[in-house]
Amino acid sequence: MTRGFESFIDRAPWPERVALRALLAVERRPRGARLLARAPLLSQALGATLALGRYDEPRLAACLGWDAAKVVARGRALRRAEGRP
Amino acid sequence: MTRPLETDFCVVGAGGGGAVVAAELAEAGANVVLLEQGPGHDPDGFTARPPEMLAKLYRDSGQTTTIGSPPILLPLGRGVGGTTLVNSGTCFRTPAPVLARWADEYGLELDDRAMSVCFERVERSLSVSEVTPELAGANAAVARRGAERLGWSHGYLRRNARGCVGSGVCVFGCPTSAKQHTGITYVPRAVGAGAALITNADVRELLVERGRVRGVLARLAGGERLEVRAGETILACGTIHTPLLLARSRLAGASGQLGRNLSLHPATAAFALMPDEVNMARGVPQSFYVDEFAHEGVMFETVAGPPAYAAMALPLQGREHARAMARYPRLAQMGLMVSDSSRGSVHALGRRPVIRYSLDGADLDRVRRGLAHLGQLFRAAGASEVYLPLPPGVAPGAARARDLRLMAFHPLGTARADARASHGVADGDLAVHDVRGLHLADGSVVPSALGVNPQLTIMALATRLAFHLLDRAVPSEQQGAGIGHALAPLST
Repeated sequence: MTRGFESFIDRAPWPERVALRALLAVERRPRGARLLARAPLLSQALGATLALGRYDEPRLAACLGWDAAKVVARGRALRRAEGRP
Repeated sequence: MTRPLETDFCVVGAGGGGAVVAAELAEAGANVVLLEQGPGHDPDGFTARPPEMLAKLYRDSGQTTTIGSPPILLPLGRGVGGTTLVNSGTCFRTPAPVLARWADEYGLELDDRAMSVCFERVERSLSVSEVTPELAGANAAVARRGAERLGWSHGYLRRNARGCVGSGVCVFGCPTSAKQHTGITYVPRAVGAGAALITNADVRELLVERGRVRGVLARLAGGERLEVRAGETILACGTIHTPLLLARSRLAGASGQLGRNLSLHPATAAFALMPDEVNMARGVPQSFYVDEFAHEGVMFETVAGPPAYAAMALPLQGREHARAMARYPRLAQMGLMVSDSSRGSVHALGRRPVIRYSLDGADLDRVRRGLAHLGQLFRAAGASEVYLPLPPGVAPGAARARDLRLMAFHPLGTARADARASHGVADGDLAVHDVRGLHLADGSVVPSALGVNPQLTIMALATRLAFHLLDRAVPSEQQGAGIGHALAPLST
């Protein structure tokens, strides 16, 4: 998990933060996936959160045509060149 | 120890409403203190990476959630610029029928002509213009193709952007500072005209003496207390937090409407697999609308983002999710939002907001019909697969509230304006009914859903309020009284 993903969870409201951490712990257990399958809503919420972290990995994102560093560098260059805030 | 400050006007909140009021007042020569609960954001810290930016730029990492059926995510911005920093930049004027309804139902004299001068002023300040098809990108082209084949009304959206290159991350902090949010427009104007901007200032309560608000008490980041004494106080903490501050100060409760009448735009989105590459994050994410069903309360706008964003929003799981994400370059996405008839409420538990909101039957039906139309739109555009945000095997028409994956945007109405003190929290001039010296300048005063993105409405109302406080007419842009030019100094 990226540092950004960790801070995403850390700054969530405490009920969501506690629930997400608990679900992540369950998901890592051998029978975790089977347990979660019994609670589709929770499983869905956890899946979406995990996907946010997984596809934020630069190498995976690059395979899909997205290079965040390049987008940011272009933005900064344009801001400096045009004297934007 | 308490640090004292004295000023003509104390504005609380540097988002869409507060920044506008502060700039207009300061440029007219008034002394202004602008307090912001969050930090200022340096665009050099914008990384275009969703999890990190959600944590940095949003309240609660963007995970503020309503309690009700179904639970709804309600993302809110935090810091200088407020939600204008993290919205998509879409600019609509308040629809004329909505203004007419406000006149009829709430006694608000905000006709199209009176408001248009405010809209013009805001639009010029924010460089509002229509997105070009080239900048809109391929995701918008998919939606356009579908709408044209179906004969549905559509168009490119107007946005507050200048020099946009379509970075695709408006909602995660624009790395080019192309989006003209209030943090880089009105706030610098306010500061340039002499306003004192204080960030990380958490306003705890309003100071009230003999039936008049005399300023605010705040706590600064280091724990220092700040007392701002002001002739007039303007609250612009947003629809969720303004009523909480009023309630904490035991103000504005006489009508019984404070914290009630919460209106949202419940929203969801569908994905589609297209035959050709879309690369949804290349271009302006929210650039194109379909308003064929706006009269029924259903509006479609394109949405898009980088893979991490798409992966979070894609309504699939397990292998199906991985399979669709492997084809991310060919995914298109379109959002739908509902002009709601449901109403919720907000109150505090400790210092946190508790937001209650359940979808009523009419809104559930709007979402169902909207999802069916989204499927139709994508198929008409040539999609080979359509992914609706519903559990497997559930058709749009059979969806129950608990089947829906909803987000919501544009909270409004929790301190609604109504000319009658018994029916609203503020009057038509946005002065709080119960107490003198206090005005409101955010979405909380907007008395009903708009059916369109509300930032221009909030900013136009804030412009109108600023000139009301100055006791001057809003200058017409055609008369050459331009933005950023100091008006004649205040005589008082």
